[in-house]
Amino acid sequence: MLAFKQKSIKTLALGSIIGLFSSSAFALELNPEIGVVLEGLFHSGETALSGQSEGFSLGHNELTLSSPIDDLFHGRLTTVLESHAGEVEVGLEEAFVETMALPFNATIKAGRFLSQIGYLNGRHTHEDDFIGRPMAYRAFLGNHYFDDGLRVNLLMPVSFYWQVGAEVFNGSQLIGASHDEQVGVYTLSTKFGGDINVSNSWQGGLSYLGNRLTNVETGDEEHDHSEDAHDHEGHNHSAAYSGRHIYLADLVWKWAPNGNAKEKEWVFSTEYLRANHINQHADPEDYQYGWYGSLVHKFAPSWSVGYRYGEVNLKLAHEDHLDDQSSKEHQVSLTWSRSHFSSVRLMYSAQDSVGLNPEDDHALGLQFLMSFGAHGAHEY
Amino acid sequence: MNINRIAATLFLGVSFLVNSGLATADLSVFACEPEWKSLVDELGGEHVSSVSATTAFQDPHHIEARPSLIAKLRQADLLICTGAELEIGWLPMLQKKSANKQIQTNHLGYFMASEYVELLDAHTHVDRSMGDVHAAGNPHMHLDPYRLLRIAEKLSKRLKLLDSENSNYYQGRYDKFEKNWQAAIMQWEQDAKALKGLQVVVQHANWRYLFAWLGIDVVADLEPKPGLPPSTSHLVSILESLKMHNASLIAVAAYQSATGAHWLANKTDIPVVILPFTVGGTQEATDLFSLYRVTLSLLLNKDLNNIKQEKTD
Repeated sequence: MLAFKQKSIKTLALGSIIGLFSSSAFALELNPEIGVVLEGLFHSGETALSGQSEGFSLGHNELTLSSPIDDLFHGRLTTVLESHAGEVEVGLEEAFVETMALPFNATIKAGRFLSQIGYLNGRHTHEDDFIGRPMAYRAFLGNHYFDDGLRVNLLMPVSFYWQVGAEVFNGSQLIGASHDEQVGVYTLSTKFGGDINVSNSWQGGLSYLGNRLTNVETGDEEHDHSEDAHDHEGHNHSAAYSGRHIYLADLVWKWAPNGNAKEKEWVFSTEYLRANHINQHADPEDYQYGWYGSLVHKFAPSWSVGYRYGEVNLKLAHEDHLDDQSSKEHQVSLTWSRSHFSSVRLMYSAQDSVGLNPEDDHALGLQFLMSFGAHGAHEY
Repeated sequence: MNINRIAATLFLGVSFLVNSGLATADLSVFACEPEWKSLVDELGGEHVSSVSATTAFQDPHHIEARPSLIAKLRQADLLICTGAELEIGWLPMLQKKSANKQIQTNHLGYFMASEYVELLDAHTHVDRSMGDVHAAGNPHMHLDPYRLLRIAEKLSKRLKLLDSENSNYYQGRYDKFEKNWQAAIMQWEQDAKALKGLQVVVQHANWRYLFAWLGIDVVADLEPKPGLPPSTSHLVSILESLKMHNASLIAVAAYQSATGAHWLANKTDIPVVILPFTVGGTQEATDLFSLYRVTLSLLLNKDLNNIKQEKTD
């Protein structure tokens, strides 16, 4: 009897220990998932269209909450804190719900989210291999274009990867002003890709952005002079240069020995952006364009080096005429990552501009990008 | 007539595009790692067509969510992975992008092997200063034959649920696999007796279950923290600590860089042994049975096929 009692006490104790253990283990699974990305910057100068201030500043400090809502919906909220010229700006970059599994491999996304045009635009900036987006993105998309709207995507029933999608947006995030249109901006895009062999993979994309707001008065933008155009763009995240129709083409190729990207990898990516029908004053034949090509080499598990060349050929709307502007930019970056969650980057940029009159034609940048908490899986 | 011909060509083209994506077997399986592809091939036989997202030469922690993988997962009826956060850096993206209802988390076509066995080294507290540590426990459990058998049993049940028409077929395959596997375990344990107490240097805790089963002791890990590459200072400290241990070999997986291991081998004369880790890691490791046999052979530095021969003679 006594023995039995002792045994049952032991069992009880063991049971409560297991219970304690499993409940605390369970508590590790945070619901919702919380993730923070910290970014600090130093720039030795201000180059054209950079949107970066000289000296120390805070970059894209993200706080993200995400969670499945039920078995059909998934939600995500991303707030961004940035310091710009001594002031802290709070922004809402993402606030969306997304379906997980609809018939016909369809996905619907609604709320505020990053547009899927081009290759880089749909990605978070903390995934980039360089400090700041290419010049073409800075000019036409205000670094990265996100807005309030709705997206429908379809994955086509073919053996290779082929996705088609359409988005409708309010558009005020692109032009940086409010307006009366119900749908200010819409996009159509397609992405396709596959493996060439175990070591080589690729993805291509074509997108179109229709901007119905080229005639909307956008406050100070009309009077914006070239020398402070970059400043304006950095503040508002709206695109300083636009057009009725924007076309984008992108191609990405990745190589890793045996497909094992942990040790070594080469990534080549290139995008071309072209904006037609610039505004009501412009000849419909007038267009502005930009492109970039970048090659990034991870040469050791913790180290990568990258080179990016970018060009823009712009026409700034000024009163009733267009001013020609252009710039060529070379960038070299070196990145060290202690783990998947931390990186420190050094980058040198050299520009050759016509009509943009930047304060500096070259600059050195230093960046740290670190994250803690939940960290979502990255896109290709 | 011309229009008819064009229409017929278009129809053929479209149906080719559509059909080429579909598997002819009853169940299309997307396995995250080669060991699960092998297991589902054993259990599903001709009624299953399977692909593995990774090869034995790729680190399963670090995989790109490539377009080809999205296309493959789109067509899958069953997703089988290790789980326990091993694939957390890429699988959620594939699931989302594939927009395939059947394989979403907690649906019938979602099978995480680690959910069916007890994991070693589960942590109640995890933070990233500890390195790439999984709270749920060490996920590399496919090299423990007993856990693998338990997973096989659960996987077989899942195949029957997904494709009940062939239920008897799957049961038959499982019974055969179980019998052969149990016999193989007996043989392996017999062969591996000499390995008990062996002292080994590793590079990552990916041999945890294998060595626990065989009674092998790990005396040093080339990774300063789980998931971090071997650093010079850490290698130097291991070199010091090895003076007190009698390590017999340095075990490295086929997918890992052996640079640090070779450096240590040069300084100490301890041999580096490249183990397959999973199916396909060496030429001889073509299925789960040969994976275990080859691994034991390499650890014993003997050809086990010959040992068997001697015994039967």
